Amino acid sequence: MESAGEGWTPKILAFLCNWCSYAGADLAGISRMQYPPNIRVVRVPCSGRVNPYFVIKALQHGWDGVLVSGCHPGDCHYISGNLVARRRFAVLKDLLEYFGIEPGRLNFSWVSAAEGEKFAIVVKDVVEKVKSLGPAERLVKR
Amino acid sequence: MHNAEESIREAAKKLLSEKKVDLIVGHEQGTLPLRTTPCFIDKVEDVPKLVWNENCDANLSKYLIGRKERMGVVAKGCDARSIAVCTFEKQIVRDNVVIIGAPCSGLIDKKKVRTKLEGKELLEATIEDEQIQLKGEGFELVLPKKDFVCSSCLTCRHKTPPIYDVFAGTKVPEVEADEFSDVADLEAKSSKERWTHFKEALDKCIRCYACRDVCPLCYCKTCFVDQTMPIWFGKTTDLSDTMIYHLVRAFHVAGRCVDCGACSRACPMNINLRELMKKTEKIMKERYNYTAGLSLEKVPPLGEFKMDDSQEFIK
Amino acid sequence: MEKKRIPKLIKELTKEHEVFAPVKKESLVFFEKVSPGSEISLDFQNTTKSPKEVLFPQTEILFTYDIKKNGVEIEKAPELRKKIALLGIRPCDAKALSLLDKFFSSGDHKDFYFSEKRRNTTTIGLACNRPISTCFCTSMGGAPFGKEGMDLLLQDINDKYLIETVTEKGDKLVEKLPWLEDAEKADIEKARDLARDAERAVTSEISGMSVTKKLDGMFDNPLWDQIYKKCLGCGVCTYLCPTCCCFDVLDEATTKWKRIRIWDSCQFSCFTLQGSGYNPRPSGKERMRQRIMHKFNYFPKNHGENFCVGCGRCVQECPVNFDIREVVEGISTDIWRKKNG
Repeated sequence: MESAGEGWTPKILAFLCNWCSYAGADLAGISRMQYPPNIRVVRVPCSGRVNPYFVIKALQHGWDGVLVSGCHPGDCHYISGNLVARRRFAVLKDLLEYFGIEPGRLNFSWVSAAEGEKFAIVVKDVVEKVKSLGPAERLVKR
Repeated sequence: MHNAEESIREAAKKLLSEKKVDLIVGHEQGTLPLRTTPCFIDKVEDVPKLVWNENCDANLSKYLIGRKERMGVVAKGCDARSIAVCTFEKQIVRDNVVIIGAPCSGLIDKKKVRTKLEGKELLEATIEDEQIQLKGEGFELVLPKKDFVCSSCLTCRHKTPPIYDVFAGTKVPEVEADEFSDVADLEAKSSKERWTHFKEALDKCIRCYACRDVCPLCYCKTCFVDQTMPIWFGKTTDLSDTMIYHLVRAFHVAGRCVDCGACSRACPMNINLRELMKKTEKIMKERYNYTAGLSLEKVPPLGEFKMDDSQEFIK
Repeated sequence: MEKKRIPKLIKELTKEHEVFAPVKKESLVFFEKVSPGSEISLDFQNTTKSPKEVLFPQTEILFTYDIKKNGVEIEKAPELRKKIALLGIRPCDAKALSLLDKFFSSGDHKDFYFSEKRRNTTTIGLACNRPISTCFCTSMGGAPFGKEGMDLLLQDINDKYLIETVTEKGDKLVEKLPWLEDAEKADIEKARDLARDAERAVTSEISGMSVTKKLDGMFDNPLWDQIYKKCLGCGVCTYLCPTCCCFDVLDEATTKWKRIRIWDSCQFSCFTLQGSGYNPRPSGKERMRQRIMHKFNYFPKNHGENFCVGCGRCVQECPVNFDIREVVEGISTDIWRKKNG
């Protein structure tokens, strides 16, 4: 979105499932845990709701990184939404990386409603990783 | 392949005269050298039009989708496999279709021939045994056939259809092939090199959607590129949009693609689309040990899940 | 002009023009913008894509705009006044340009973008000494040495090109090239012989002229049910065609709004799809009929000529070998009608 100047920090689009990861992010906030402010959250009912096309579209719109986070396997509010999503994302990640998208732009995690701390760590990791890659260029529509 | 031609015609004649089918979908001689064209036969007297050779490159399963008639179809390995996928996905009614399985010894890639001829026009081509004879104004070449076989056929393991009702000709034994050798070369490159490779390759794309329209698995009533209310993504030849079209299409056929190679053969700009499709096949094989189109019952990987699926990429 | 002087010609042309010429890329040939010293190919059958895209690009930004608080701010179309030279355009494609002229700039409707560019274009054609088996230009009123749509025509006579001026524009260009040698009588005779031979070498002949009349009243004929069957509805034929010019206009935004014209194809399912969801051409049958009727019935009725120049690209590249020659011949000789009762 911006060029890599001195003060450049990445912008990361996060798809968080309503029942676990969004609540986890909430917990991190309520507990006043510090994590980089680089993510913008889209709340989705389930990680299974995240169409791979959303991820690709985010990259096209110039987001430097994407994070998709849902409930741990077995904990899905809809029983198996995250398990279906897991296969889908495995294929998507493999395919995009083969296509030449830098590994690290796409990130996935399982964060439960109780894991505020894990959420903060995940975000910190993702931001650092994307920061080291620099601003997104591939697939971005100018 | 020629030995099966007579058997195919006999089978077609039998099916039509016994009124087991209303229509035979097969191949007939095309109007150019190295070409055949799909044909639809409903009368016994037209059966002799059917041909079977190394140029029968159309994937005929495309013509069965959403049809109500009882149809007999001439199918090579890849055609039969895509019929299996479409049947599982309820696009083809199995009881309405009689598959005339035919042995395939590999299709001729007219693009490889064109490259070899360097702009000279091919006027006549004959294939005999393992030789291909090319004739044109001022040249006559006899070359080994294997140099002009489609890349998808070179790594094909199922030259005899895994599913059929009638078999014509003699079966070709299943061969061991290094299926993913084409992908391995690209995988060995760096991320940036691969990006540049795909960027340059897809820059030629004119968005004619021939790759989509010949693909038997692209049967969506409204393809995502045709969504206009609202528009899902750009319709121009902007490179980003073009690349996304190919990416999303590849994703959409992941776990369903049988590597018939029709997309690559159809591309007027000579883009090797198999490079993308084959990778999806490899992912499916490695992660979920699945090969598409071998069974009518097995659920494809993206339609099911297991508790212990690999998740090394998830934090 | 001697053949080895082609680089010099390009150099002279680039002084005033953007020069587009055939360039070989792997086994395909494309019209591309060239500069002095570029490697061009004048030894080709025909280009993979037609040169129409120089004047009618697949994606053309008509204007850009910005939506501001107090209204819309429009930024005009990019410069259209640049002079263009099309070097090495084949007679069929040049004829196609003159048909596009009729389409875009005749009557009450004048397409600004096309006609401006066309007005600033000089075509320096290259006659076909060796037509190929899919060429049927002679059946469509053209010829391998045809001059329609040309300003200058280069004719390959072994080591030299004989340059024939066709229009005033061509004359003016030649005046600026004083180093061109005067043609000898023998050269002119040779070119005439070659033209005759080339015309004979067009072996593919169809009754292209009588088809228009035959198509009258055939709109509801059941033969359309047969013809379209194997067509899969891709856009290869129409996108490679030098005359097909249906387009769609849409708005797109990244940093700014753009109004864009893109190619459309009558073979696509969303062609003529209306806002209500209704499509008057719901299946391949109606779309194929549209393609054939537009080329061989509606256009000839409006403009007096078939909207096909017989370049053979669609025949060569169709994924299922749908051959338009068979269809036209079938209709004009009643073969299809007999076949289907």
